[in-house]
Amino acid sequence: MPVCSLCTEPAVVYQRYINRHLCGTHFTADVELRVADTIKTRQMIVPQDRVAVALSGGKDSTALLLLLQRLLPSWEDVRLIAITIDEGIAGYREETIQSAEQLTGRLGIEHHCISFTGLFGDSLDAFLTGRETQACSICGILRKKALVVGARQAGVTKIATGHNLDDEAQSVLMNVFRGDLPRLVRNSSVDSSGKFIPRIKPLSLISEKEIATYLMLNDAWSELPECPYTRYAMRREVRSMLSGFEYKHPGTMLHLMESKKKIERYCKGSVISESLRSCLECGDPCSGDLCQVCLLRQSLDR
Amino acid sequence: MRLILSDRDVRIFEHIPAPVEQILLEQGINPLEVIVSRNGKLLSEDTVIQASDEVRIIRIAHGG
Repeated sequence: MPVCSLCTEPAVVYQRYINRHLCGTHFTADVELRVADTIKTRQMIVPQDRVAVALSGGKDSTALLLLLQRLLPSWEDVRLIAITIDEGIAGYREETIQSAEQLTGRLGIEHHCISFTGLFGDSLDAFLTGRETQACSICGILRKKALVVGARQAGVTKIATGHNLDDEAQSVLMNVFRGDLPRLVRNSSVDSSGKFIPRIKPLSLISEKEIATYLMLNDAWSELPECPYTRYAMRREVRSMLSGFEYKHPGTMLHLMESKKKIERYCKGSVISESLRSCLECGDPCSGDLCQVCLLRQSLDR
Repeated sequence: MRLILSDRDVRIFEHIPAPVEQILLEQGINPLEVIVSRNGKLLSEDTVIQASDEVRIIRIAHGG
């Protein structure tokens, strides 16, 4: 049986990209160290920050909340809260919301819940009738808005999301496939305009498999249903393709992220970077005359 | 060796002993998209599985 490269315990993971075996204890420590390092290097959290974790109750946001809670004592005067968005997806969201409530209750973390019905007047299921193929883009726009509303109500200074390495690498490829260079180089982790709440992604260098492994080793794994709308998503195809590449060529996802950083540097200050304007309808920051939510509301006739 | 899949389907795998990775590939599963356990303990992909083992494959659902 393979043993840990750092001790004599049985290995539970093999990190292919660096050819290393780790036992449960060393793997947990490794993940926590890498997340702490990402946060520190990129100055994601600073003293006096009030951080809202976007907690869906699924694996990534659950791992994020657990990790930030564990790292909390190492930061000076930082407070954590959790915000859950109830999009209104029948047969899916109920279970993950219950999981989010149980987790925040167990950790003693303040928990806010914002629903699409309360904020936009109807559930995602209702908005998507006849538009199922647009599910992820419609949901993404409304969910982002709901999160900002919740974050403003709670008075936070940062929004932390559970995007992992797989998500981030998929987004790089999808933006390239769409020819969307402005979105590829967009950086929402800092705000020099004072108009929006910075979003941080502390898990952006941890793979999806590592996150699932971390949860299992820390008794926080639960098998939850998959969103019924993912079958319409382009991301699903990209995910499968990229996962195949990563398996055959370990390090592919990290290399994609390095490519994105290089492109960001080349594009800094160029015309490709979008200038920030205010939505003529609601005043929210945006890049055109109207923000995406107001554009969407017009197209949905709401 | 008994192989329990995410959908509770049970398959008998005959070509053993074999490493986890080989078993997954023969089932058409990308090892990066699942986690494998034996008696509740997680296994690395190069762990060799024996005839008497019961192995569980847990699919990592996207999202969350």
